[in-house]
Amino acid sequence: MPELDRRDFLKLVGVGAGGAAAAGCSDHVEKLIPYVVQPEVITPGMPVFYASTCRECPAACGLHVRTREGRPIKLEGNPDHPVNRGALCGRGQASIGRTYHPDRFRKPQRRGAAGALEDVSWKEATAALAAKIAERPGGTWVLGGATGPSLSDLIDRFVGAVGAGGRLVYEPLSHDALREASRAVFGAAGLPIFDLSGADYVVDLGADCFETWLSPIEHQRQVLEARDLASAEGRAARMVYVGPRLSMTAGNADEWLPAKAGSEGLVALALANVALARRQAAGQPVGGDAGLLAALLAPYTPEKVAEPTGVDAAALRRVGEQLALAKRPVALPPGPGLASSRAVAASAAALILDAVLGAVGRSVGLPPETPATPEPANLAALEALVAAMNAGRVSVLLIHDSNPVYSLPPQLGFRDALAKVGLVVAFASGPDETTELAGLVLPDHTPLESWGDASSRPGVRGVVQPTIRPLFDTQAFGDVLLDTARAMGDAVGAKLPQGSFRGVVEASWGGSFDAVLARGGSFAPAPLRGGAVQAGAAKLAFRVPELVGEGEHALYAPPSPLLYDGRGAALPWLQETPDPVTKISWQSWLELSHASAEALGVEAGDVVAIETPAGRAEAIAFPRGGIRDDVVALAVGQGHSVGLYASHQNDGRPGEARGASAIALLPSVRDEAGGRAWLVSKARITRTGGHARLALMQKSDNKRGRQLGDAVALAALEGDAHASGHAGPHEVRRPFAAAADATDGSAYRWGMTIDVDKCTGCSACTIACSIENNIPTVGEEQVVRSRLMSWLRIERWIGDGTQELRAGRPPYDDHEQLGRIDVRNSPMLCQQCGAAPCEPVCPVLATYHAPEGLNGMIYNRCIGTRYCSNNCPYKVRRFNWFDYAIHNWPDPMPLMLNPDVTVRCQGVMEKCTFCVQRIDLARQTAKNEGRPIADGEVTPACAQTCPSHAIVFGNLRDEGSAAVRTAEAGGVRAYHALHTLNTRPSISYLARVIRDPSSRIDEDGGHAEAGHHANAMTPSQEGTA
Amino acid sequence: MRSTRPRRRLLLATLGVAVASGIALGVAGLWGEGAVAAEPLVATSVCEAHALKARKAEDPSLEIEIPPNFDMPWPTRAACLSHEAALDPNTPGPVQPIPFSHKHHAGLYGVDCQYCHSGTDRSPAAGVPAVETCMGCHSLFPPSYDELSGIRTLKEYWERKQSIPWIQIHRLPEYVQFRHNRHLEAGVDCQACHGAVQDMDKVHLVPDTHWWPWLLPTQKLEMGWCINCHRQNGASQDCLTCHY
Repeated sequence: MPELDRRDFLKLVGVGAGGAAAAGCSDHVEKLIPYVVQPEVITPGMPVFYASTCRECPAACGLHVRTREGRPIKLEGNPDHPVNRGALCGRGQASIGRTYHPDRFRKPQRRGAAGALEDVSWKEATAALAAKIAERPGGTWVLGGATGPSLSDLIDRFVGAVGAGGRLVYEPLSHDALREASRAVFGAAGLPIFDLSGADYVVDLGADCFETWLSPIEHQRQVLEARDLASAEGRAARMVYVGPRLSMTAGNADEWLPAKAGSEGLVALALANVALARRQAAGQPVGGDAGLLAALLAPYTPEKVAEPTGVDAAALRRVGEQLALAKRPVALPPGPGLASSRAVAASAAALILDAVLGAVGRSVGLPPETPATPEPANLAALEALVAAMNAGRVSVLLIHDSNPVYSLPPQLGFRDALAKVGLVVAFASGPDETTELAGLVLPDHTPLESWGDASSRPGVRGVVQPTIRPLFDTQAFGDVLLDTARAMGDAVGAKLPQGSFRGVVEASWGGSFDAVLARGGSFAPAPLRGGAVQAGAAKLAFRVPELVGEGEHALYAPPSPLLYDGRGAALPWLQETPDPVTKISWQSWLELSHASAEALGVEAGDVVAIETPAGRAEAIAFPRGGIRDDVVALAVGQGHSVGLYASHQNDGRPGEARGASAIALLPSVRDEAGGRAWLVSKARITRTGGHARLALMQKSDNKRGRQLGDAVALAALEGDAHASGHAGPHEVRRPFAAAADATDGSAYRWGMTIDVDKCTGCSACTIACSIENNIPTVGEEQVVRSRLMSWLRIERWIGDGTQELRAGRPPYDDHEQLGRIDVRNSPMLCQQCGAAPCEPVCPVLATYHAPEGLNGMIYNRCIGTRYCSNNCPYKVRRFNWFDYAIHNWPDPMPLMLNPDVTVRCQGVMEKCTFCVQRIDLARQTAKNEGRPIADGEVTPACAQTCPSHAIVFGNLRDEGSAAVRTAEAGGVRAYHALHTLNTRPSISYLARVIRDPSSRIDEDGGHAEAGHHANAMTPSQEGTA
Repeated sequence: MRSTRPRRRLLLATLGVAVASGIALGVAGLWGEGAVAAEPLVATSVCEAHALKARKAEDPSLEIEIPPNFDMPWPTRAACLSHEAALDPNTPGPVQPIPFSHKHHAGLYGVDCQYCHSGTDRSPAAGVPAVETCMGCHSLFPPSYDELSGIRTLKEYWERKQSIPWIQIHRLPEYVQFRHNRHLEAGVDCQACHGAVQDMDKVHLVPDTHWWPWLLPTQKLEMGWCINCHRQNGASQDCLTCHY
């Protein structure tokens, strides 16, 4: 070995160390996994779209499913579908999570002797099921949610072939009262069809039509279109809300008549009474025999109903008159939450009002003569089933598409009756309260893996097609029925269609199935059926309902706009997105008025006990001004003890119920026709002494006069400068041209126009954004610490606010007032400011102003000083406090991540990017074709999903773009958020317009000067509250 | 006198025997040498046959024997060499599950990059070919090809309908959104970033600096290198182009 001198030795050591270090720095080996056989339609890296139908609620909106490499990653609305026309609600957006849910059953299971579920094979399971049914076919019953026509037909045929006892369709929100009311009033039982397009006067009698009632997206789209301020008709359109509580829908109305819970029917009759007289005097049709109607309505004058309803007679008279003058008025019957023991009469009253207004056949259609699927069972039928179960007459119960153990009233005794059923078979795809008691779990495919169809009205049938091969060893419910029947022998099997359920679906469409799949279904809505009020309507007894139980408050349990009837609790986005009204996530809260809270001695955050004859539960008190003193409200949907997100399992407390189930507090009460009533009980509220921190996204609705959710009075649009409610015509609210803030020569400066008047607060945009951009959900504890990760939030402001000089801050600060509406829902997202305060303070230039005006956030450069968020006046920057990328996407959720968006790691700041990945995609196509990006070619996820088209995205440097034109057309309404800070935001907001309900245009074309109406809070009245 | 004659005869006889045996041994030795020297080299595979033929071409005195079942044109010598080179752990680049040689396919046979890596012109992704693409040609070739272990492995993957877990060579961090189609549209050829792949039996990263790789390891596909090319070609240098 040659002698090493010192220098050579050092060189060698240096190289060795460097080499070792380099070897240590090398990445671990990543693999490239190609296809074995690449499907022709898939080019890796490019999306493939499939048309399908959403199954999250019976509205059945059309979907375009964006898939990447054979996995759905985003749901978008189908623009061709007549119900949603390209929009999609938050629940529909979140429903993609069902396919990738970590809780999903991965194989069929059988409950063993010890009570735990054990794996079993499909063959064994179907053989066991077939054998059990064959023992006593007449004891087999099928119970499940509303399905599409194909599956429904197959279930009926199965029942017939097998000789089963029968089948019940069960939906918790089945609108029993409305179905019966239609029979009583028009002689046609079933759900009437509401078409609110062009509706210039809408009276929502507690339907909450933008939330969970019938077809929420459609109603939202139609009503907001009818109210578009661009046209004179739109400016004349009005909406009145009748109900005990300022709901999300109510916040968008122009007037709120805070009627006593359960008295909506009487309000409807009083309005009809007034409208009838007016219309008769004007010689207009009144929807039935005038004499019959006059006799029916005579006792219900506004003066007579003022006391039982708690609504001012003058207001009722005024609204009734205006309804009669409107060109296309419509009244919406009360929703399920307000269905009392007198619900049929209440809904009938609304339908009678519709008839008097001439809306039947124009905005309201009679139910179809032959419904596509059987009517859901009412409470009486369910009681009969439970009685049969208790008597031992049910040997096999197949439960699909529903969770009856959770959603049926406990007093019905369904849970105990299940124990007497020989074999309970559940087909749910994930664990819930019902599968916990099932003897056999045969998991169904999720809708994105299924074949099927859905029809919400005659002439409209959407197809459901799979967008991914089933992830786990699950089977379609239809196929299980076919296999089970065949396992029972040839005699039975021969009575059912051959082949698979897919074949059944395909055979049910005439013509080219490929064309159906490409379009998403067949869309030829039948015209609305008209009808007249029948004599039988006079037999209805219209009274305010009696409630059972003791207490000073009526318990009102509205379905949650996000959790629906409880099914949404399994999806983390629906738990984490703040409730549109209270802005609370993950928790159960009890709404009560300030007077009630004071009388009870509770403040926001105190835990209270709610006792009814059905049970006792605890919730967090949430005093607010927008609810009557004699009502407390507890939203339906929480109170699950099973499920990663639905229960406290994710917080390390498995089996512990999250929140309180409102259903568990409601005694089982029927309405006049045996339907299910929800407004049935009084509640006794007591303090428990406990306290909880509310998981509030927004702790105050007081905007302190800042330029956020602004509003102007309608008169301001017509040139009345004083009515704009601001400092005067000199105040410039859009002091600069945002189009300037991009590189000279750049063809684009991206921006948006957001119409606060059109935003209903539904939060679909928030959920769409979260799914598009791989935003994690952080859980209850982090939300309490204000660490929500969503890039977009809906701020809810009441009025212009007051400057507060109070020293302490209450847990929650609200400015709602009973009977007054001045709600401004304002989406807040990164403004992509031209003079962004976040840019100069980043020490590493991780955020900078991009050439096209966007504020670019470069994740890999960020070192997490959080100075940018500190400086942002809009507080739209979100920081990854924890490694959400690793912990908050449990298997198989990473499959739904959008590959075009970086998943951020711990310590990195993130914010809205205006969906720059979509801009980039459009740029590639445009560049290939040698042209600029056209207006409308790029739509961010939020704008795409909004049912009211409140968000318009575009190039501010293009004078003809929709974003610029909308902002210009907004005129005096247009403003920049916090414009006095001179951040030069690229988003122009259009202020909410307060339409004074009294200043309608009357039949002579002039303004009916009924004086300034006290109900609506106009800006000019502010400042002294 | 009489006593020395037998000893002389004995001596002569011994000498004679020694010489004779020596001659015999010598002759025998010559014979043996000829038998050892004349044993030919036998090929036990087509590749070995090619190797032996090449050796013989260099050294004509070499005796080789090629059994007829190995005297095949396929696999070619080039194929054999490439196969061997792709399996060599001592050259740059990891040994892949199948010793696929770009030099053989793209270099020698001139198969276009986009024949296998299709979609690269439309998609942001590069498009590693499906197993079906390989089988498109290899299912048609004569069975003698199967002598190469790589081909046998390929066919096994195909029979089992299992995808080939290639080791990724060119990898950008996850926070970089690199779009292949844009670069192809701009006229950048594959070799600019991937190196002279058509000359590589085993794909590896090619350092772009040549004068001091033995002191500091260099790797391509670093941001500075990308920016350099963007700068030279007038492409966008905006951060948001690649980082979002």
